[in-house]
Amino acid sequence: MKIRLESFRDCLDGGVPGNIATVSPDGIPNIAYLSQVQYVDSEHVALSYQFFNTTRRNILASPYAKAAVIDPRTAAHYRLSLQYLRTESQGPVFESMKAKLAGIASHTGMSGVFRLLGSDIYRVLDIERVPGQTLPAPPARQNLLAALRACAEAMHGHADLEALLTGVLGCLEHQFEIRHAMVLMLDAAAGRLYTVASRGYAASGAGAEIALGDGVIGVAAREGTPIRIGHFAAEYSYGRAIRESLESSGEAGRMATEIPLPGLAQVRSQLAVPIRAGGRTLGVLYMESPHDQRFGYDDEDALVALAGQLGMAIQLMPQGDGDEALVPSAPPQHARGPNVVVRHYAQNDSIFLDDDYLIKGVAGSIFCALVRDYLERGRVSFSNKELRLDRRIRLPDLSDNLEARLILLGRRLEERGACVRIEKTGRGRIELRVDRPLELVDIE
Amino acid sequence: MNAYAASALIGAEQAAFICGGVGMSMATCRPGALPNIARATGCKVSSDRRVVTLILAATPGAAALDDVRRTATIAVVFTQPSTHRTLQLKGTDARIVPLEPGDHDLVERYVRAFAADVAAFGFSEAYMRALLAASPDDLVAVEFTIAAAFVQTPGPRAGEALAANA
Repeated sequence: MKIRLESFRDCLDGGVPGNIATVSPDGIPNIAYLSQVQYVDSEHVALSYQFFNTTRRNILASPYAKAAVIDPRTAAHYRLSLQYLRTESQGPVFESMKAKLAGIASHTGMSGVFRLLGSDIYRVLDIERVPGQTLPAPPARQNLLAALRACAEAMHGHADLEALLTGVLGCLEHQFEIRHAMVLMLDAAAGRLYTVASRGYAASGAGAEIALGDGVIGVAAREGTPIRIGHFAAEYSYGRAIRESLESSGEAGRMATEIPLPGLAQVRSQLAVPIRAGGRTLGVLYMESPHDQRFGYDDEDALVALAGQLGMAIQLMPQGDGDEALVPSAPPQHARGPNVVVRHYAQNDSIFLDDDYLIKGVAGSIFCALVRDYLERGRVSFSNKELRLDRRIRLPDLSDNLEARLILLGRRLEERGACVRIEKTGRGRIELRVDRPLELVDIE
Repeated sequence: MNAYAASALIGAEQAAFICGGVGMSMATCRPGALPNIARATGCKVSSDRRVVTLILAATPGAAALDDVRRTATIAVVFTQPSTHRTLQLKGTDARIVPLEPGDHDLVERYVRAFAADVAAFGFSEAYMRALLAASPDDLVAVEFTIAAAFVQTPGPRAGEALAANA
């Protein structure tokens, strides 16, 4: 029976380094260790090209090589007959190998030595199972297909985006035992991702931003490919950013307009999966764990499928454009106490409530419009539809997810214990609840 | 490659290294075919440090042994997982030779030493015994004169050829 690469690709995730044998034009064999073998598809693997060495000289002269890999759990031993096809130095395969290699390097004390110059793509011509003793495979942690099915079914019937995302993060914990996860949406025009929902952290981090290309989340979004790291890798970790942000808190930090990304201080495994629909990246589902090698190839497959479902569900979610019947706005009843100054910096739409930073960007411009209408026209009730068409709100484009912005604005107001809250009052309608008298100050 | 270097290419310390608890794999080839790989389970070095003998299981190494019979060319890589120290030796006069008394004990000592080195990475002795398992009557030896030696530890010196040792 033909052996399929999928049936033993966990061997490729390291543990026991593999070997590669090549031959020089004058018939001298060469053998080297492989720091990384990446499964590409059922007929291809990629090997890391880090140094111009004899292996590389040999495969450029004659493309045939043999590799040996060993299962780190069972000691099963496989040999792969390979044909070198090409070297990629950018794109999804390269980026996912680069991130993974950073983890491997850090885990093995080789940071600064291992550096990916390229991903050498090989066709797998033949697979041989080497006769030998093996240990029984440990039982699978869980049935990933069953977990995926349960999550996919639970995705139906959510009333709005907030419920959908909360549901998915709950499912990740209950079905996949993934306890630390977050959803970030992509603002393609700004080249940034913003956190909308999270689970398993002390602070939700709603509104925290990541630049496209920054860390596993940013690279996953930029390349539209999952990025998975099995060990701590400083250059892909968000821990440092969090620490720095904590260090700068205090008096000087009060004015900072950075919301720290939630994240584990001792992250060992990271998996960022793009949420895609119709060929477009909508955001990223990010999961992490304090344990090494928590996510394998099979986890990645299941979670890519789940993120695909989530992308469809987000796309199909009615944008909350409910009935347009204008509810007469009741004048504010319970706003009392000293004034709260709402400062709006036009340059980046950042908002401060007195001295406390609230939010910036699109969510900031939404908040500013709501407060302005509240103060100038006594309005408290708004529809999503009018907000989407409101010229004061700088949505990057029509397809931008207004609801995601409203979710993070709502969360921020709640978490800051703000004197203003937004509440859903029906499909596609929100209402402003104001506890204190407001004063809006625009700053150019 | 010169199979008759004036003096040994590896020193006493390097000889001890390749006879210790390090991973060892060999590559062989023949014209018109892909190279072959086989894992070895023990190594000896002659007193003048010119000749290396590898012990390996014949069944999983059948294709590589066949290459040795045909072309006598060989490359062997030795690596210590805990330090990444890696050395590659090459020869052009490889031949299959009978086991000597004490070789079975050497294999047992090797398995224990290698298992001890990788224990820190979470590999149990049971795992290493499965990985290196060979039935005693399946063991064979391959001997070759060191014609070239290369440092292969990842880093700036990787690929450097060792000069003859006095």
